[in-house]
Amino acid sequence: MFKINISSIIFSLKNLKKTLFSNLFNTIISLLIILFISKACFNTFEWLIFKADWKVVTTNLPLYAFGSFPPNEQWRPATWIISLLLLSILTLCGPEWKWLRKNLLKVWVGTIPIGLYLLYGGIGLSPIMSRHLGGLTLTILLTICSSFLSLPFGIVLALCRQSSLPFVEKLSSIYIDVMRSIPLIAVLFFGQLLIPLFLPVGIEIDRVWRAIFAFSLFVSAYIAEDIRGGLQSIPNTQIEAANSLGLNQYQIIQFILIPQAIRIALPALTNQSIGLFQNTSLMAILGLVELLGIGRSILANPEFIGQYIEVYVWLASVYWMVCTIMAVLARNLEQKMTINQANF
Amino acid sequence: MKINQKIFLQFGICIILFCLIGILINNLTVNLIRTGLGFNFSWLFKPASFALAEHPLPYTSSDSYAWALFIGWLNSLKVIVSSLILATFLGTIIAFARTGKNSLLGLISAAYITIIRQTPLLLQLMFWYFVGFLGLKDNMFIHIKNIFNITNQGIDFSGLFFSSEFLALSLGLSIFTSAYIAEVIRGGIISVSRGQWEAFRSLGLSERKGLIRIILPQALPAIIPGLTSQYLNLAKNSTLAIAVGYSDIYAINDTIINQTGRAIECFIILLFSFLLLNLLITNTMEIINRLILNSQKHT
Repeated sequence: MFKINISSIIFSLKNLKKTLFSNLFNTIISLLIILFISKACFNTFEWLIFKADWKVVTTNLPLYAFGSFPPNEQWRPATWIISLLLLSILTLCGPEWKWLRKNLLKVWVGTIPIGLYLLYGGIGLSPIMSRHLGGLTLTILLTICSSFLSLPFGIVLALCRQSSLPFVEKLSSIYIDVMRSIPLIAVLFFGQLLIPLFLPVGIEIDRVWRAIFAFSLFVSAYIAEDIRGGLQSIPNTQIEAANSLGLNQYQIIQFILIPQAIRIALPALTNQSIGLFQNTSLMAILGLVELLGIGRSILANPEFIGQYIEVYVWLASVYWMVCTIMAVLARNLEQKMTINQANF
Repeated sequence: MKINQKIFLQFGICIILFCLIGILINNLTVNLIRTGLGFNFSWLFKPASFALAEHPLPYTSSDSYAWALFIGWLNSLKVIVSSLILATFLGTIIAFARTGKNSLLGLISAAYITIIRQTPLLLQLMFWYFVGFLGLKDNMFIHIKNIFNITNQGIDFSGLFFSSEFLALSLGLSIFTSAYIAEVIRGGIISVSRGQWEAFRSLGLSERKGLIRIILPQALPAIIPGLTSQYLNLAKNSTLAIAVGYSDIYAINDTIINQTGRAIECFIILLFSFLLLNLLITNTMEIINRLILNSQKHT
């Protein structure tokens, strides 16, 4: 093992010499770049360790994580976030426990009602209003709930767009095209404004759930297009084979089309959910105190005024971390799917 | 399915949909009457009575709402076009660095792409605005004899003035989009077969000349569609202008809704102005695509 490492290092060094220092011009450019990188790294580390005042981050850690959740109830969102993290680690390691491995998807879906129960309270826990939600908790809640709602809606839209009924096909393609041509912030803003207008007098949905519905309406149009791509790449022979086996139309859709389409569209779908996670930051403009909104309100505090760089660097690293975790999970899932496919 | 059954099914769906829309419209009218607003567009021609910091055409606060909206649309177009050009330029350079032989440059561009793509655009825009431009002190930056001045108000280039809102927005948008464009261009370059690279090297063409003369023209048909969708995304993302206080079409709609409360009319206007922007971008790209295909046919 060790020998292979040494020889591979020597090989890569030789390769480096070939690519970086092949002639005078390349050597100069490479040296300049090395100088630039080391200078940039040095300056960044100097700033991170000595110059930056991290008090604005360290004193407000509970705020970034939970928003204005009542302090003696903060174990509830904390349990939820930690259990999500543990679950992702378990998924990545490939659990030894056979029951868990079989029901991983169900466990993941199960985190949603558990999370809602923990956050909103109910039987046995004191109820918490939506306006107390905030920080990373709210960001994760928005992401998970909207992606969970938009997936079935997106699948239905994609199936309708492929439908042989011209009226249904036209309607869903109009919906998809209109949604894809308007910016997300407009959908969110008008979701906040218009959803109450379209509801009967007396029924009200709070801001968080209006945001979740607006996100789902928007994202489902994109998901529908991804799934349509998957549906179109399924060869027609599959449907003919299913027909000759005597499956009816709904069985074909349920057992033949949707599983394969989702598998093909999976990379695009995971990109959508990572994009959704980033886009929840738009709610900061529209008055929800999710992660970026909390950052803005902390910056408005006179005690921390002007410390933009520290807060933004901290927020960017949090977003980057969660996005990376999601991307790694997605790649893991894709690999498992391709292994499954190879077994056929 | 039999044809009769199909027609019946569609008819059923039609009726359900009309019922649903009817209920929604009923709720809407009840709510509109309750709040005392009707549905009409006559307010468009009343004076807007708000000021705009930036207007490419003459505008005063006594002009009509319609004119203010048009100015906002022009502002949007301005920021979209400028960041579109900058993003394409940056993206091309990064894609070349990523596909080139120098592994250090490849490393830097890969790091750039991951960092830019894994953080939200809104955060980046706020960073550029609050840290990049408002953070500048008046005396800190370059003054070259009134020809080229950079202050926290913006950049003054011999009388041509760009506000810091515009600069932060277009810089942030172009840096964000350039990471995506770089990936599109890299995909196009990879799609050209390796034989072409070996062929131009064996003919003795230099690496740079070969890339520009041989590889890129063949990669373009694969690049253009991806590029178009990135440009459309850029146009949609430009509505985040409201976070840095640049008065684009969405920000002006927002102001008007706050003033008059006419959310539905404004939504329809926004829908059509984006339809216009999208049509403009897709048609231009279609023409460019056709020109490229034609020029390749002749050679």
